[in-house]
Amino acid sequence: MRKREKEHYLFILPSFITLLLIVVFPTIFLWYVSFTNYDLSMGWENKSWIGLRNYKYLFLEDKDFWYSLKISLFFSGFTVVTEFGLGLLIALLFNRRITGKRLWMSFLIIPMVITPSIVSLIWKLMLNTEYGVLNYLLSLLSIGKINWLGYENALWSLILVDIWEWTPFMALILYAGLQALPQEPYEAALVDGASSVQLFRFITLPLMRPIIFISLLLRAIDSLKMFDIVYGLTQGGPGNATELLSLHIYRLGFRHTNWIGRASANAVILLMIVTLLTTVLLRIMKRESGEGY
Amino acid sequence: MKTSKNKIQGIIFDILIGVVVLFCLFPFLWMLLTSFKTRVQTIDPSVWIFKPTLENYQAVFQKRDLLLYIKNSAIVVSLTTLISLFLGTLTAYGLARFNFSRKEDLAYWILSLRMLPPMAVVIPFFLLGRFLGLLDTHILLVIVYLSFNIPFTIWMMRGFIEDIPRELEEAAWVDGCSRFQAIWRIIFPLVAPGLAATAIFCVIQSWNEFALAFFLTSFNARTVPTMVTFFLSVLGVIWGEMAAVGVIATLPVLIFAIIVQKYLVRGLTFGAIKS
Repeated sequence: MRKREKEHYLFILPSFITLLLIVVFPTIFLWYVSFTNYDLSMGWENKSWIGLRNYKYLFLEDKDFWYSLKISLFFSGFTVVTEFGLGLLIALLFNRRITGKRLWMSFLIIPMVITPSIVSLIWKLMLNTEYGVLNYLLSLLSIGKINWLGYENALWSLILVDIWEWTPFMALILYAGLQALPQEPYEAALVDGASSVQLFRFITLPLMRPIIFISLLLRAIDSLKMFDIVYGLTQGGPGNATELLSLHIYRLGFRHTNWIGRASANAVILLMIVTLLTTVLLRIMKRESGEGY
Repeated sequence: MKTSKNKIQGIIFDILIGVVVLFCLFPFLWMLLTSFKTRVQTIDPSVWIFKPTLENYQAVFQKRDLLLYIKNSAIVVSLTTLISLFLGTLTAYGLARFNFSRKEDLAYWILSLRMLPPMAVVIPFFLLGRFLGLLDTHILLVIVYLSFNIPFTIWMMRGFIEDIPRELEEAAWVDGCSRFQAIWRIIFPLVAPGLAATAIFCVIQSWNEFALAFFLTSFNARTVPTMVTFFLSVLGVIWGEMAAVGVIATLPVLIFAIIVQKYLVRGLTFGAIKS
């Protein structure tokens, strides 16, 4: 009997040990490095433990860190909310009888599955001031040239690309949610003479709540982690106009300076923000599955 | 009266869908168009109809060594996918079919690992890779990619296995099958479509990954997405070649994505939403 009780170890342990080795151990190592003054130009044995000094540097001396944190949060907040709004509208557009619906919806997949680093270059070409197709199309409408990737506009262009890439994600998830809604509450409300706006406000939205939260959090986590698109599009520039947290870590650790210790401290901060959101997300998912999904 | 109003509304909605589809499709089409343009045409956005040239495609294979990058990507992607499927499915079965204390805590802890930011993963792996002399090798990328592929596989496959009634397996045990025989003969054929879908998702994620490949390789193990670094300088970018690389890099992913379209929402939400 005792042997049977332990049988599940055989299935769980291989992955568990692998994940401990390749995820947990490196994460602990990252924390450790963040308390040292390690620098790529020095030997590993010459580093020393400096306690919280890297964190102090980021919080008190590094103005660019605060700027990166601010635009990262703004970027994530703005894109996620916009993508949700547009995604919901698109989901509602599709939530009717349409001929060839599957085909039309398959086009929505394109932006989010094609290689992000390639996406950034396509947009870099399209957004070029002199020979980009966007300014060309605008010129047909007699609108003057916009310097899309200049200091003023670069962050907004990045936001535009992110919205292009990820609105379909919201649309597809919310559409799946709409399709799974039960019919009975609507029939009852229609008998009571509810308008379509009321139906949406008092039946659709409350029933969709868990799916809405899950999609918002998934997207927020992903956009805080983002590196590839912004690297390809602007590399954080011009200046530090689009230097999101990931890019700031890159600049501290790998680009001009080789301050791996400071970069690690910044990475730990990013990790903590993401972990906070993940904890909320998982709590919601757990509650939902508990209610018998 | 009401029906004609509904008809007009329907037409407006159809047009809006057309606009959305066009918006999603346009950048890809523009890349496709650019890849067939000559160098002079690529910097003239008013050229939409022209005689296509294949010189960009020739150039990326001859000058840019695209085949080497594709080979590296293929090695890394296939190995990480196979290992994830094996380890992940085993664990998924354990979570689906056994009861033990703190099982759900373990499952959610595994899922939380999937959310780690690449920039937090890259620093320790860069240093460890340096100490062990593994930088710029396929094996390092395979290992790093396991960190998001294993949790993903576990969550996807757990759902697919739980969709299969336990009774089928129990009947096989009664007939004298061992647990592994029952898995092989009963579970495996039934989860095969789910396993294929999960594999395709792992392939897409790994094929598209940029940040880790960019920092952990330099020449020998460079994968396709890192080719963008050829085209970063603003002056003198050869957009036609860039577009040709883009088309070749994204076509397999698009084909794969259309194959798993049915499971897409499930994959994007780690099985939280089954459509």
